[in-house]
Amino acid sequence: MFRKILIANRGEIALRVLRACRELGVDAVVAYSEADRDSLPVQLADEAICIGPSDAKRSYLSAPAIISAAIITGCDAIHPGYGFLSEDEGFAEVVRAHDLTFIGPPPQVLDRFGSKEGTRRLLANHGLPTIPGSRGLLRDDMHALEEAERIGYPILIKPSAGGGGKGMRMVRSPRELESAIKVCRSEAKAAFGDDSLYLEKWLEDNRHVEVQVAVDRYGQGVHLGERDCSVQRRHQKIVEEAPTPAMSPAARAALCETAIKAVVAAGYENIGTLEFLVDRDGNAFFIEINCRIQVEHPVTEVLTGIDMVVTQIRIAAGEPLGFTQADVEFRGHAIEFRINAEDPANDFRPAAGRIERYLVPGGPGIRMDSHVYAGYEVPPFYDSLLGKLIVWGPDRPTAIARARGALDELVIDGIVTNVPIHQALLTSEPFLEGRITTSMLDRVGSAAFLAAASRA
Amino acid sequence: MPEPAPERRKSERRASGDRTRGQRAADHAAIDRLAGDLLPALVAKLGASGLGEIEVREGPWKVRLRGPGHGPNLGRRASDRASRAQPGHAGHGHAPGALEGHRPARPANVAVAGAPHSTNGSGPVTPSPATGTLADAGDAGRRHDDADSRRTVATSPAVGIFRPRKETPSGARVRSGDALGIVDVLGIPQEVVAPTDGVVGATLVEAGEAVEYGQELVVIELVSAPAAGSAAGGGSGPASG
Repeated sequence: MFRKILIANRGEIALRVLRACRELGVDAVVAYSEADRDSLPVQLADEAICIGPSDAKRSYLSAPAIISAAIITGCDAIHPGYGFLSEDEGFAEVVRAHDLTFIGPPPQVLDRFGSKEGTRRLLANHGLPTIPGSRGLLRDDMHALEEAERIGYPILIKPSAGGGGKGMRMVRSPRELESAIKVCRSEAKAAFGDDSLYLEKWLEDNRHVEVQVAVDRYGQGVHLGERDCSVQRRHQKIVEEAPTPAMSPAARAALCETAIKAVVAAGYENIGTLEFLVDRDGNAFFIEINCRIQVEHPVTEVLTGIDMVVTQIRIAAGEPLGFTQADVEFRGHAIEFRINAEDPANDFRPAAGRIERYLVPGGPGIRMDSHVYAGYEVPPFYDSLLGKLIVWGPDRPTAIARARGALDELVIDGIVTNVPIHQALLTSEPFLEGRITTSMLDRVGSAAFLAAASRA
Repeated sequence: MPEPAPERRKSERRASGDRTRGQRAADHAAIDRLAGDLLPALVAKLGASGLGEIEVREGPWKVRLRGPGHGPNLGRRASDRASRAQPGHAGHGHAPGALEGHRPARPANVAVAGAPHSTNGSGPVTPSPATGTLADAGDAGRRHDDADSRRTVATSPAVGIFRPRKETPSGARVRSGDALGIVDVLGIPQEVVAPTDGVVGATLVEAGEAVEYGQELVVIELVSAPAAGSAAGGGSGPASG
C-alpha cells in the first residue's frame, strides 16, 4: 500500500478520496488552488498544499504543479479524482516517470483505452456490440461531413478526451455539423486540453446504461452491476440509479457479463465504467469506457457494500481484488441526485456565491457526499456540483419515497440549486414508470418540466 | 507548463506602480479612519444586532464584518505549510470580526481577498456582490499596507524548491521585476521577482526548502517610504511611523 497520497482534485471528490485514505490508514495531502483555500477537503486534510491560482490550467490541470507538489510533500501516489487530469494518459506517464503511482489504470492500459474512438474498435473486436461511428478522429470539416454522411444523421459529435457533456453536440444536418464542430473543439480544448473529436450515430429515445467493472493486475475481474444514467440535461447526467428499470434482470446480467469478459480479455486494469446506449428495443451498444472513478460511484457502493475508491486505490497499489463475482451481492435500489449550483428556472445558469444555511437530510438509506458548509463561498471557476444525495431503499418505490423526503429536508440557502428539478422528476410519470430517455429533459424543456410538476 | 516570467513581471509592475503617492496617502488615511473610528462602532453594532454580516461603504472603500460562527471553525487548519504561507488568510472568513477592506471598480470577476494583508492594497478591486472574496494573491507580491506600508513580500510563483539568488542578498537594492531567486519545479526554474522597487530584507524561507504557490518568500523594504510619508503630510499615519 502507498505511504502517502496526493489528492489532485477539489470539491466533493477530494473529500471522498480523503475519506478513503483515512479508511486505509494512508496519509493524504490535498492539493488546492487559491480559490479553494477555504474548502472543506482543505480544512479537513492533515496536510494541504496550494498548487496555483484559481485558473485550473495553472492548478488542477497543471501536471508540473501537481507532480512537484507530490514530490515535495513526500507522496508516492497521486489520486486524480474525476475530470481535470484523470483521463490524461500523458499525465499518467509523466507521473510514472517521476517514480510516483497514478491511481487509475497503469499508463500502458490508459494508452490502450484512452482514446474513446480506438477503444470502441478494440472492444468491438472482443465481442461488444458498438454504436456506428466515424473511422478515426475527425481531421477537418470535410472529413467530418463525409463520415457523417456515411453514418447517417442525426449524429453526436464527441470529444476523444474527457466527458461530462463538454464538447458534445447532437446535430441533424451538415449545416449544424459545421457550426457545432467549432464550438465542440473549443469546449474540448478548454476542458481537457485536447480538441480531437469523433462522431457517433445518435439513437433517438435511447437510455444510458453503464456497467461498473473492477479488474486487478492479475487479470481477476468482476462487474459490480449497472447504473442507469438516462436522466440527463445536455448530455450531463443529473440522476443515476441502479438497477436500471429499462431492462429485465436476465438482460442486465447478460450485459454485465459480456462487459466484464470483454475488458478482461482486452487487458483492462483497475476500476472502470463501460457506457452503453440502450435503444427502444432493449439493444445495448457500447459507446465508451471511463478509466476513472465516476461521480455516480456511490450508487454502486450502496447497492453492493463495496467501497469503489478503496478498491481503486488497492488495485493501483498492486493488491489482488480479494473477492470474486460470487461474493458480489446486489441489494435493493439506489438513486443518486446531483445537487448543482445552477438555476433550473433560468436555463440552468451556474450560480456562485455564499451558502448561508446548509442542512443535510438523514434517516434510513440516506447518504450525502458534499464539500459544502454554511458560510462556504462557491467559487465561480469550476463545475457546479455541490454534492450528491444518494438514497437507498429495499425496492424502487421505497427509494423514491425516501428521496422525496430527503429532498424536502435538504436546505441550501443563499445560492440557487437544481433541487426543484429533482422534486419535479419525482412527480413525473416517465420517471416513476422508469421510461425516461436521455433527451427527454431537453426536449420538454426544464421550465415546462417544472411547470408541469407544479400543476400535478 | 509553468507560466512565462515576463507576464508575471508585467502584472507586478502594474500592481505596484499604478498609485501615486498622494493616492497612497489618501488610502492610508482612509484605512486609519475606518480602523480607528468606524470599526469599533461596527463591531459593537454587529454584536448587538445578531446579524451574521455587516457591510459599510465610505468613498471608494468598503468594510465588511463577519461575525463568529459564520463559517466553519474546524480548528485544524490545513497544513502548517499553508498557514505559514498566508499570514493574512488564517482569520479570513472565520475569525471573529474579520476585516475586509475593499476598493471597488475592477472589471474582472475576481474579488481580491478581504484580508488586509492581501494584494488588494495595491490595486482596485471589485466589490463583487455575489462571489465575495477570492484571493488571487499569487502573481504579485503581498503589500503590508496598513500594518507596515514600507514592506512588500515577494511570493512564490509555483510549488517547488526555493533557491534565493546570491546576487541579491539582504540589503541589496532591487527594481520591480528583478529576480530574487527561483522556485525549482521539476528542474524548471520559475523566477521569484521583486514586486516593487526597494531593498531586499529578510528571506522568510531557507534555501532548498519546499514552498507552495503564493507562499511569502522575500521581504522588500520600500526605500522611498519615509519621504512619501512626510510629503503626504503624515497621511499614512501610524503605518509609516
